[in-house]
Amino acid sequence: MKSRKKSIEKNRSKNNSRRSFLKLSAAAAVLVGISEKGQAFTIKGSPVKTNVLRPPGAVPEEIFPSKCIRCGRCVEVCPYKAIRPLDIRSGIYAGTPLIFVKEVPCYLCMKCVEVCPTGTLRPISQEETRMGLAVIDKHACITWNQELALCRTCYNVCPFKEKAIKLNELRPVVIDEYCTGCGLCVHGCQITQQNGKKAINIEPIYAYRPVKW
Amino acid sequence: MGLSRREFIKRTAALTAASYVGMNLPFTNEKTVHAADADSWHKGTCRLCGSGCRLELGVKNGRAVALRGIPESRTNKGYLCMKGMLFYKLMGNNHPERLKKPLYRARKDQPFKEISWDEALDIAAKEFAKAVKKYGNDSVAYYGSGQALTEETYIFQKVMRGGLQTNNVEGNPRLCMASAVGGYITSFGADEPIGSYTNFERASCFFIIGSNTAEAHPVLFRRIMRRKLDNRDRVKVINADPRVSPTSRIADLHLQFEPGTDLALLNAMAYVILEDKLYDEDFINNYAVFRMGKEKKQVDFKKYKEFIKDYTPEKAARTCGGNITPEKIRKAAHWFAKSEGTMSLWTMGINQRKRGVWANNLIHNLHILTGQLCKPGADSFSLTGQPNACGGVREGGGLCHILPAHRLVKKDKLRHEVERLWGIPEGRIPPKPGYHTVAMFEAVNQGKIKAIWINCTSPAQSLPNCDKYRKGMKREDVFMVVTDIFPTKTTELANLILPTAFIFEKTGVYGCTERRSQLTAKAVDAPGEAKPEVWMVREWALRLAKELKDPVIKKCVEPFLGKEPDYELPKAIWDEYTQKLTKGRDNDLRGATYEVLEKLPDGVQWPAPTKEWALKGGTDIKFVRGLDPLADKHAKNELPFQFYGPAHPDRKLWIWLRPQKGPEEMPDSQYPFYLSTGRIIDHWHTSSMTGRIKELMRANPYAYVEINPKDAEKLGIKPGDMVEVVSRRGRNVLPAKVYVGPCEGMVFVYWHDQDEDRMINRVTKDAFDPGSKEPEFKICACRIKKVSGPKPLTPFLVQLKA
Repeated sequence: MKSRKKSIEKNRSKNNSRRSFLKLSAAAAVLVGISEKGQAFTIKGSPVKTNVLRPPGAVPEEIFPSKCIRCGRCVEVCPYKAIRPLDIRSGIYAGTPLIFVKEVPCYLCMKCVEVCPTGTLRPISQEETRMGLAVIDKHACITWNQELALCRTCYNVCPFKEKAIKLNELRPVVIDEYCTGCGLCVHGCQITQQNGKKAINIEPIYAYRPVKW
Repeated sequence: MGLSRREFIKRTAALTAASYVGMNLPFTNEKTVHAADADSWHKGTCRLCGSGCRLELGVKNGRAVALRGIPESRTNKGYLCMKGMLFYKLMGNNHPERLKKPLYRARKDQPFKEISWDEALDIAAKEFAKAVKKYGNDSVAYYGSGQALTEETYIFQKVMRGGLQTNNVEGNPRLCMASAVGGYITSFGADEPIGSYTNFERASCFFIIGSNTAEAHPVLFRRIMRRKLDNRDRVKVINADPRVSPTSRIADLHLQFEPGTDLALLNAMAYVILEDKLYDEDFINNYAVFRMGKEKKQVDFKKYKEFIKDYTPEKAARTCGGNITPEKIRKAAHWFAKSEGTMSLWTMGINQRKRGVWANNLIHNLHILTGQLCKPGADSFSLTGQPNACGGVREGGGLCHILPAHRLVKKDKLRHEVERLWGIPEGRIPPKPGYHTVAMFEAVNQGKIKAIWINCTSPAQSLPNCDKYRKGMKREDVFMVVTDIFPTKTTELANLILPTAFIFEKTGVYGCTERRSQLTAKAVDAPGEAKPEVWMVREWALRLAKELKDPVIKKCVEPFLGKEPDYELPKAIWDEYTQKLTKGRDNDLRGATYEVLEKLPDGVQWPAPTKEWALKGGTDIKFVRGLDPLADKHAKNELPFQFYGPAHPDRKLWIWLRPQKGPEEMPDSQYPFYLSTGRIIDHWHTSSMTGRIKELMRANPYAYVEINPKDAEKLGIKPGDMVEVVSRRGRNVLPAKVYVGPCEGMVFVYWHDQDEDRMINRVTKDAFDPGSKEPEFKICACRIKKVSGPKPLTPFLVQLKA
């Protein structure tokens, strides 16, 4: 309760309207707008975006900040130092865990889900993990946009190769049914675009498109 | 997205234009480099694996900026893998870690000091002369590489043999294809494959055994895959390997046998071929004889049939274990024999075996029995791992028992012929072959070798059971000269490090797997004071002549004096080698002069006795009349195939009776697992080059151990856990990858990592094939144990301690 109050205050100081905050925390998925850069849809203010993801087993982003108690156990237990807590500038998201897969991807050791005391990271198995979905940028990928290049690093490093990434006539294709969004492919990808993205990127699943009924 | 509409349209236009003219746009890390951005493009050959991909280097303001494939090339058809696209980052001043000055230390516990070339060569000459004077000619040695240019290997071995009078000339190809050489010579009478890559597009059955082509030769694998995908029903792919690898993915049939049972499997396939009358009787009658034993005793077909009776598919399936069933063996044999053209491919899985030569023989047996040779698509084709193992070392005389152009040291006539061609006194080259690789480093251990020159390779990491041999290299009474472009595990043990020019910084020829010689001319300057090896050897030999007061040493380099080292010198060496030494030999390269090689987009396949023939690309298939000029020349009868190889005086192919033999070390209760090693696509050999390309290093920052899920479950090992791999020789601690790759009871480790904890050659066994002397890297016994949970690891590369 305390932490929640604090975060409200912080939120105010960041000049967010109270109304929009309430909207967010009121469980229902309120997804708004396209971000400036024309990326996929994100929840307003959420730090989760392309290649910046919640650890395995995370509850939906809409309720994540209210369920996570910022105990930092997942950060502590991660052997690869892949999980990082957000700092105080992040408003209500301060202290919540994130994985920046471009720097250190998730190796799916599943230690974080075991230690989470609140069930914000649900105890799931490797295969069930859905941190996001790998999307190949066919204009940037050297194997897709050039006739004569043979690169299949994403396929080679994928922990579920032949399932999550397959080769179609030597070109990598992601199978959404199996992709865990661990980001090993992003980390390994040899192409870095001018905007900092790789030729294969993990898009958070929830933010792909707002749901309309 | 930070991409304006205008920029987008520009790029689209550039891409479209590029696709029309059929060129590809190479990438740099920061932004797209357009073809037009480079000032000039220079033709050359890829520095890395043995495929021999042709590529062009883009140079801008004297700096290497990009690499792209040459679509007219007959090896890669323009395709490149990521290693091949990125190694320009190591050239010239592109990489800060390049060695730029000669470095010296008198004792191996001291730090290195920069010295001048004059001093460096004086020291090298003095130390070698001292060893020769005090301990005799066999106390000095040269250990070369299948990555050195042909000119370099040739001049090194000329100075060692003709000048220093020792046959201690070895090279790392002993570790990779010596068994293939043994196999080709004993079965076909002549080294190197009969056919060439063109068979990829003509074969209707691929038998890939002991090779992870998809990762080790990705560009050649593309051609196999294309063939399979275009003819899904007609073309069959059989993959035999104890490990499910990316190559198995396109296989119609995967034969997963237990390590070390390959000979039984191959003999069982021969059994099926005989039992079901799938053999080609005419072919056998015309071209083949049966032989057995060390004394090469000739036997008849009946005896062979009796011998093979022991290898029924039922029995072999029991021996082989894994997923092998008699039905699978039968199916494989039928596909093999009945196809219009069967092509066998293998690499280290077969060669790096205690009985590597026998395994090679048994593959050749299948081809000879079924007549799957010399016709379109039919070939018994060994893939090489290094870019110049064939051209430089096999043909150039880079091993202790061979002289240039496939001559044996122990044959007096051939040895004297070489002495005559070099213009040195008869009897100058000793008649006894020198130390083979394992024996050479054993001699270093024992202090029998006092001075050794290691060129372009890192035995401190690449030798099996390397801890044992590093002890010798650390000895203070062994003087070690190492020539390399980057610090390696071996430069750490050197007294004298000489910085060399990289490919495209010097001129020379590489000869790839399919007998093809390809020229790479200098295009950029070497960084700092780095120099081509040919120059070093010439200057060193002159000093040696002075130290030892021996005019014959000077005589060895006399034809090359005063030549400018970047082009004229290698050209003069190549001319001497091809025009004089290969004349009249089976690898006749007289037509392949630098002028001819420069005219062609790729290169020339020997035999190429004349310039006219060389300009057509040379010989596609050996031994076939009408296709091979030497087959016509040496023809003794009317038959279409003439097996004129120098090792078989009866001009026949030999079918060998070779029994099943297991590995040297079998798993037991103490060490219950088989350990096998191999390569990953993004790294090459000891990763001294590929590890320094950050894109490649990021993709595969360290080696890991692959464990079958069933074994992992038994031992409580989860993915990412740190696992200890221990053998009787050494210990590694690596992260685990639990993966249906290796069969149950087997673990697999990549061998590129330079970190002491992850250097798997500290664990492997140094047993070797008694015929080819090639070590059995691929099989030894080990035990594994979980030591901790996952740990963050940092990639490691040797840095210079100055």
